Amino acid sequence: MEEKNIIIKFENVSKVYKGGFPALENINLEITEGEFVSIIGQSGAGKSTLLKLIYAEEFPSVGSVYFNGKSLGELSRGKLPFHRRMIGTIFQDFSLLSKKTAYENIAYALEVLGVPDAEIAEDVPQILDIVGMTDKADKFPHQLSGGEKQKIAIARALIHKPLIIIADEPTVNLDPDSAMEIMELLMKINSFGTTVVLSSHHKDIVNKAQKRVIVLENGVIINDSPNGKYKLN
Amino acid sequence: MRGGWLAFISVSVLVLSMCVMNIFYVVGNSINGFMQSVQEKESVSVYLEPTLLDHEIQEIKADLENNPDIKSVEYISKEVALENFKKDNADEDFIMQALQEIGENPLLPVLVVKAHNHNQYVKIQDYVQNFQFSEKIARINYEKSREEMNKLNSIVENIRKIGIRLGIVFVVISILIIFNTIKLVIYAQRKEIKIMRLVGASNSYIRLPFIFSGIIIGVMSAVIATGLLFALLKFIDQYFPSIIPSGNLVMFFMNNFWKLFGAQVAFGVVIGIFSSLIAMRRYLKI
Repeated sequence: MEEKNIIIKFENVSKVYKGGFPALENINLEITEGEFVSIIGQSGAGKSTLLKLIYAEEFPSVGSVYFNGKSLGELSRGKLPFHRRMIGTIFQDFSLLSKKTAYENIAYALEVLGVPDAEIAEDVPQILDIVGMTDKADKFPHQLSGGEKQKIAIARALIHKPLIIIADEPTVNLDPDSAMEIMELLMKINSFGTTVVLSSHHKDIVNKAQKRVIVLENGVIINDSPNGKYKLN
Repeated sequence: MRGGWLAFISVSVLVLSMCVMNIFYVVGNSINGFMQSVQEKESVSVYLEPTLLDHEIQEIKADLENNPDIKSVEYISKEVALENFKKDNADEDFIMQALQEIGENPLLPVLVVKAHNHNQYVKIQDYVQNFQFSEKIARINYEKSREEMNKLNSIVENIRKIGIRLGIVFVVISILIIFNTIKLVIYAQRKEIKIMRLVGASNSYIRLPFIFSGIIIGVMSAVIATGLLFALLKFIDQYFPSIIPSGNLVMFFMNNFWKLFGAQVAFGVVIGIFSSLIAMRRYLKI
């Protein structure tokens, strides 16, 4: 049996914010490459914090976070950008630049990394096709629906070919149909081999995926099941 | 639109500080030049007993010329002194009449002594009062320029102090304004910066535009300030040509152009980069 790479590992991780607010307590978890993981819990349970620790927006107060075997705590500030290039992030507020078209928003992610124009011209249309937004390429964000904007955000997160996609409540501002579309898109991306970690409190969505579910409550993991069903207490 | 306004204010304030410093620099230099020419005229006049023989006067002159503090000794005989006096006062009937009445030459022979350095005059006076020929000296007259020199000195000192203080105030204001400008630009671009960060753009890629803005503000201000300085000097030359005995100001500017311009560019760039850096340190989360 092929030994799969552990891409993310949390080892006794606790996070206390300034002012003594404990966001996470003693988190231990492992995520292997290619998994599709949903992290669920109520607001304030610590979902966002957990994700931020993965893309190194925050650092643990106690314990270590490992990405692809390397401890994030040992990363110098100069090396952080390179860590982030392996991760694609998606947020609930889409974060698109309003003065750029859909195409330009995606291309921007590559421009900023110094990718040559020719390569950009090749890759962006491909990604647009994957997310099914080819015919909206030259629309501006205000001309797109919530679901469409999120698809562009996903495209931008994917364009630099990351190892893992981190999605922080990607469906929370969407209507049920769009939310479903986004979930399906994420699962499609996962099927290509990209690890997906998302946080949510949309129970139907998560249950439909029938994939691993980690439940967070008050900063502590209370359940971690491979085919979990989301139960609201 | 807002960006343009901000840039305008930043540049203006920096230009102002440079102008303040330029003005004080020019004024300081001018006064220095002026003081030097006044110093040239400074001297000690040693009046000799009218009965002295020529060889005695030459002896005294030689002695004084040997003194290391003394730069030059000019001998004006009483005949020459009388001629000069008559020339100077040719229009004054009263004086000319009085001269005729007296009949003989009332003036004394004099040795006009100039020092190398303004500070040496006290020493020279002491020396003359006590040296071997002191009985042959009728009186010593130290030109009153001493008091005026001291007055000028203290004025220059005050001007310099005010200049430095004002300069510092303007520099601080410039730094604050540029700092604020960059801060606002960072804020305006926060979305782009966030995306750049998350996508993994390198830190220098994110920082460079702001440093660049700082540099541009500095260079533009230097160019404008130098231009204004030139205009100011030209104006002074045109309307107040006699202020500087040493020559015209535009020439001074031309000769020192690269030094002046270079200094201002360096100054502008340093302030620009410095302000930009502290704004980034505070507001740019990398």
